[in-house]
Order: sequence, then C-alpha cells, then structure tokens
Amino acid sequence: MAWRLYSLEPLRTEALAGLGEGPPHLQDSGGSYPFHPLEEPWEAKGAPPVPWPEPLYFVDGRERAEALISDGRRLVLLGCVAAGAVAFAEGGMRLLEPRVRRVGVGLWEPLGLGELVYEPLPLEGGGEPLSPMALQEGLAKARALLEEDLAKGLEGGLLIVDGPVRLRRQGPVLGYIKTHWARYLPEDKEALIPTLRPGERTPMFRVRRGGQELASWYLRLPLPPEGVRPPESGLLRVETPLSPEAKGLADLSLSLFPALASHPVKDPRAPQNLLPVGSLERELSRRMGSRDLVGRILARYLGGG
Amino acid sequence: MMGGPENGQRIGVVLGRREATPLEFWVGVEGEGLLRLDDLVVVEGYHPKVGRVRYFGMVDHVAKAHEGESYDTDTFLAVEGKIPVSLAYVAHVSVTRILPEEFFPPDPGSAVYLAQGEDLELALYYEAMKNQRGSTKLPAGFLKNGEVAYLNLEFLNGVKGGHVNISGISGVAAKTSYATFLLKSLLESGVLEDAHQARVLLFNVKGEDLLFLDKPNLRLSPEAKRDYEKLGLDPGPFRSVTFLAPPKKGGEGILPHVETRLEGVKAYYWDLVQFAQKGLLPFLFADRGGMSNLGYLIVHVTEKLRRLAEGQKGPHLLVSDWPGAELPEEITFDDLGRVRLKSFAQLVQYLEYKLLGSETGEGKGDETWVARQARGTLEAFVRRLRSSVENVGHLIRGDRPGNPPDPLSGSHQVHVVDLAKLSPQAQMFVVGSLLSDLFAKKERGQYRGRVFVVLDELNKYAPRDEESPIKDVLLDIAERGRSLGVILIGAQQTASEVERRVVGNAAIRVVGRLDAAEAERPEYRYLPTSFRQRALILPQGMVILHQPEIPVPLLVRFPFPAWATKREEVLEDNSAEALRREFF
Repeated sequence: MAWRLYSLEPLRTEALAGLGEGPPHLQDSGGSYPFHPLEEPWEAKGAPPVPWPEPLYFVDGRERAEALISDGRRLVLLGCVAAGAVAFAEGGMRLLEPRVRRVGVGLWEPLGLGELVYEPLPLEGGGEPLSPMALQEGLAKARALLEEDLAKGLEGGLLIVDGPVRLRRQGPVLGYIKTHWARYLPEDKEALIPTLRPGERTPMFRVRRGGQELASWYLRLPLPPEGVRPPESGLLRVETPLSPEAKGLADLSLSLFPALASHPVKDPRAPQNLLPVGSLERELSRRMGSRDLVGRILARYLGGG
Repeated sequence: MMGGPENGQRIGVVLGRREATPLEFWVGVEGEGLLRLDDLVVVEGYHPKVGRVRYFGMVDHVAKAHEGESYDTDTFLAVEGKIPVSLAYVAHVSVTRILPEEFFPPDPGSAVYLAQGEDLELALYYEAMKNQRGSTKLPAGFLKNGEVAYLNLEFLNGVKGGHVNISGISGVAAKTSYATFLLKSLLESGVLEDAHQARVLLFNVKGEDLLFLDKPNLRLSPEAKRDYEKLGLDPGPFRSVTFLAPPKKGGEGILPHVETRLEGVKAYYWDLVQFAQKGLLPFLFADRGGMSNLGYLIVHVTEKLRRLAEGQKGPHLLVSDWPGAELPEEITFDDLGRVRLKSFAQLVQYLEYKLLGSETGEGKGDETWVARQARGTLEAFVRRLRSSVENVGHLIRGDRPGNPPDPLSGSHQVHVVDLAKLSPQAQMFVVGSLLSDLFAKKERGQYRGRVFVVLDELNKYAPRDEESPIKDVLLDIAERGRSLGVILIGAQQTASEVERRVVGNAAIRVVGRLDAAEAERPEYRYLPTSFRQRALILPQGMVILHQPEIPVPLLVRFPFPAWATKREEVLEDNSAEALRREFF
C-alpha cells in the first residue's frame, strides 16, 4: 500500500518527546562525575573586556516535524531540518547560506511530493514499527548531523555551538548550555552560583564525556530588570575541549555572552537565547517554508481525498 | 527590432509578497542596484495565450527596511554587530504603458530593467509625439536621469489641447522662470513650426524680473550653457522683445515708470478716444458681481461713450452737450463751441454731469444717459469712477495720442507689459483691456499666428468666487482660445483659488513648490501621493510636469535662465559696436 497521511499534527508526539529543544539527553547529559576544579580559589571571577576574535561563528539548527505518514504497517515521520551559521567579521553579523533538508525518518527511499522531496533516513531496527518518540529522536539526530556537517565547513576563527561540544575541530570551539538538567557541582560549590553578578563566572571545572575532556564554567547573563528573577534564571554553562587555551576562552566568554544576551521583552527565552542565534532561528524557520503550505501539499498528495 | 529589456541594466525582480497587478507592482532591488523615485523601468511578461507583454513604469515609492525584525530597536543591535539583518530595498512602480495592451499581471520574480533608450521613449510615449509633419516633442527640461523631458506640443499649441497652468509658492517655485523657459523652447526649438509668426504677451507683475529678457545672464555657468545646447536651444536671451511700462504719474513729459532698466522701455497708455471707442470702461469695475443694476448702467454708458467717440481722432474727446454755465473752471470751449476733455478726470466730471446733473443745482441727469436707473445706482457708479481717477488717470489720458500695448502689431515678437507699479485696479484695467482687445482681434481673424499670453496671479484676475469682466475674458480664452490660437500660460500660488474652468482647461499642468495645506486640495489630486509630498520640498529649478498623454507626472529640472532677471545679472556688452549703438 502506498503512503497515506496519518496525521498532520505530529506536535503531540513532539510533546511526548520533550520540549522543542529536543530530548534532555541530547541537550546535556551530565552524570555524576567526580568534581575537579581547574582554577583556584573557588570564587566569582570577572575579566576585563577584550575584543571579539574574528571570524566568530554561531551555528544552530532547527527541526520541524511536518507529518506522520503510514502505509498501514509502520509510521514514518516527515520533517524538515535546517542548520545555519552567523559570522561576525568586520564589525557586523552576517548570515551564511543555511542548509535545509526534508527527511523522512523511517523511509527507505526518497519520497517526492510535488516540489517537496523527503530524503530517506532509515533508523536502526530495520522494518520494525517505530514509536513516535523514536521517530522524533531520529529527526533531532538528522538536525544534529546537519549542524555538524555545516560546522565542519567553517574555517578558522572561534566556533560557538548551541548545546554541548560534540564535534572535533581544528580551531577553538565553545558550547553553551541553556537549560540545566544535570548537576556538575557539589552542593558547597553550588552556593557560589546565586552570588554571581551579571558578567561574572565560576572558576573552570573539568567535565568528561564520551572519552572527551572538557573545561566548563557557569556564567551569569544580565536579565533586566535586575533583581526580579532568581539569579539562576540568567545562568549559562559554557564548555570547551580541555586545552591550554581554555582559560583565555573562559575570560573571553565574559566579553561575549553577556553582550549577546537577549532581552526578556523581545524574547521569551531570554537571556540565554543569544541575539544572533535568535535571528538565525527565525531565518531558518523561514527557509523551511510555510508550515501551512507544506501541510496543504502533503494533504493534496497523501490525503487520499 | 523593438528595444527590449536586454538594452537596459537589470535592477531587480517583481516581488511576490505584495500583489503584482497590470497597473502597479513592487520591485525588489538586487545587490548594488540603485533605483530612485522617477526612475523608469521595464518588465517583460509572458503568457502562452497572449505572448510577450512589456510593462513600462515609473518608480513612485522606494523604501529600505530590515526584514523580519519585529522591533525598531533591533536596528541598534544590528549596528553593534550583534544580530544579522536582511536589508530589503523595494520600490513601487506605477505602470505608464503596457505593450501590447493586454492587462494581465506580471509574474513575481520577473526581471526588472531600467528603461533606457527606446524603452524610455516608449515608457513616456515619446514615440507617439508626432504628426504628419514630424515630431511634436517640445523640450520641457530634464528628467532625473539627465535625459531631455518632452511634452507634446499638440497639447500646448491648441491642436489637441492648449494652455498651461503653473502653481507654486511665490519666490521658490519659479513659476515665471519656468513659463519663460517654456516660451524660449516654444519660440526657438523649431518644434513649433510657425514660431516666427507667434507672438507673446508677457505681464510683469512683480519687481522688474522680466524687463531684462533681451539681455544675456552674467551668471549663466558653462554647465547651464550645455544644458541649453542639449535641449537644442540657444543659450542666450530672447531676441525680439519690446518692453512697455506705465507712465510716471505727474511730471511734464511721459516717461516710463521703471527703476532698474533705463533704456529701451516705452510708456504705454490709452487716449480718451481709444478708451471710449474700444469700450474699456467695464474694466474699471472689477466688482460687478451681485449688482445687476450697476452692471446694466456700465454697459449703457460704455455704449454711449462709444457713440460719442465715433469719428473722433483724439487724443482728447470732444463733447458738444456740456453747457458753458455748468463747466468747471479749468475747462473751456474750443473754437467750434465744443468742450475738449483733456484728461480722464475731466471725462469723469463730464459723466458725473451727464448722470447726476449739475453740481450746483438740483438738476437731474441727461435722460439718454441715465437709462432710467435709480439715483442710488447712478451715484454708486460715479463714486467708483471718481475713486479710479487716482489709479488710472495716468493710463487714460487726453493730452497726447495713446500708445497702448499691441502684441499683434510691430516687429517684436515678445511684448513685456509691466504691471508691477500699478494699483490693483489699474492692473485689472490693463490686463482686461489688453486681453479683450487681443481676443477680439483674433476672433476677427486679424492676426494669423499663435499668441501666447503669460499671466501670473490668476487668482486675482479669475477668482473662483467672484464675477468680473476680466474673468469673463479669461474664461473666454480658456474655453475658446485654443481654437483661435490664443494660448494662456497662467500661473498662481494656489490653484484652489482660481476659477475651476480656467485651470481645468489647461492641458499642461505644472507644479512647483507647494504649501502643505495647498497640496492636499482636490485641485492637485491628479498628482500621485508621492508627487504631492515632493511638491512640498521641490528645490528651485525643479517642477512637476503633467501632460494628458502620460499617465504619470514627470519631475523635471529646467536650466538656469540664459537671460538676466535683474539689473545685476546683465552681461554688459562693451564691444565697440554696442557702444556706438548707445551713443549714436
């Protein structure tokens, strides 16, 4: 039997899988590592402002589930993933050409519907019916792959990625984590966090993940009006592969992230959703095409009407 | 081969986010492209059932904006380099022409080209400006892109339309400058085929601006000279001009009342016989409206005067029915027992006697003169006449043969008549008398060539809400003049105060700098909004030109006057030849 539309509202399945940001284990998997500080003493640190290195890349991606389709035996998630980069150079931010792909999670061969072509993205498990949750994860993975692929093409400069640092790269890279699912600090050290003022950070500490050693620190972003929200709401955890340059990058991060913090009036995800990244996300969703239009095309080709 | 978009430079694409229609569409400007207000563009459309269609249009709105940003303050972030922005540069195009006339919309995404060369001609209908005898493209200034702007002569010389109306604030709008420039083009471009036969009557209403039309301008720059050459005009003054000014009041001889130009100006005035024979009396009464009895009396007295003057040679008016006992002191009989009226004041005294009887007695006026009008009407008439003595006494005289301006005779082509030093009543009188005389001559076919009349302050002579004999003449010219070859180049500060039919009959409309409130009045609705906005900030030397054939107005720059507009600008000719002419 041919593919038929099962649901145009896979949002409910998204809800199953967690937040729009993706499932927590992709976001930040901490674990109970032994705490190992990389700087002494354990106290709030500031740093004099330094100019931003050029070029400075921000990479981010987006995913959008567009429909669940079925051939009567199994479900396939049609979705769209996009990744893009913003480069800071010569005093201005500029968008680099983003990449957009339509994928069918669980598909074995491409599915062309009018001007939309969904590339196959088979998942482990062979022909077994997949749960909506697994499909959603597959889409998130496709997005992460696209981001990584894009990031590999960026030469030189400093790369800043949304989420933990996974890719390996010649130049320096910073990852920033906006939501904090895992605990990295013992309770007595955690006491420092609420006392951080905007633009200050904790000393660096070591994080091990998947055979990679990283230096990490928390920093406070400004969140106006100051003093209204709990200090933790402006918190960002930043990490970078452990290297002699880590200290310099940690100090640089104080010139970088607070300046790019978004304002709560303009962005509900302020301050952690950085300004250039917010713009990038808007651009990516624009490039993914109108949700309504895609829905109509899908309904025309697969709606069975 | 038709000029295609391939001739022009590609500038952008038709936008799809906003509606594209056959009459207007939006253009997104690409890359380093430059698109400005007034630029002319061409787009090609295609439909299998119709084939190729080309849309020509003019840019009437341009805008830049940061796309997709929802907060105005995002611009600060962009300037600080914190967010990337996408700059949109868009333009709105009003279609001026579709070839062939198939009104389907262009496709969004279609390439947009600057209209150049043949495309420009098509966009502005230039290729249609011709008749059996050749081109009727009259140079009217320069477009923004530096190309010559044309207007179709056939809408100016009376063939398809006639008359020009110019609006604008005085001082900055350069109404007179543009009118004189148009005259220069009419007389010298060679487009008007019988230009040598054309006559021009120019009224100088302010200062002595127009009294140096025959002198080269000292301040004419080499660039301005090139402008004239590009327009096909000689960068020099008018060649055949005569200047007439009213005489000075009082004094012995008759000297023209001018201050800055001392040579080559003649005094103009009428003698009493001319005044009576030509029936000029009504032009002393500008407020005829609402007073039908007075109006009737004016017609009657005018007719009586005409009969009285029959056969007389002048300059004085001889009357035989003014008994000696009734004569004022200074007036005497001549040898034939007739009284010789030697000034306008004496004529007024005579009329007073005829209408109201003797000053001393209780007498009644002459029955044949009063025309059964009530004494109140007669007194009102006399009161008005008396008060006009001071205003026109020097213009209507009995002491020497009259020398009224007559643009249709003499060897000069351009007649400049100075009104600036006259009282409003005298100005009305001169304008009314000259125009009615001129129109009557043209009606009788006494002159074959075209006559162009330039008159500023139309709001005074043809006000919207009042009646006057001068307004009647102007209405006559506006409505019938073009078929008789009398073309009015009228100007005013505010078209809203001028009789609608006078403005409405002008085929060519020109707008200089306007006052903000004036620009919003219905008289300017023919201008698209962007032009009305720009009319508020038009610099000197720029006008908006509207003509019937082109659906959009053109913003036109015209060259600096090649003739002097004041004494200081006169380029003195000190050659031996000129000096000899002056001294011998």
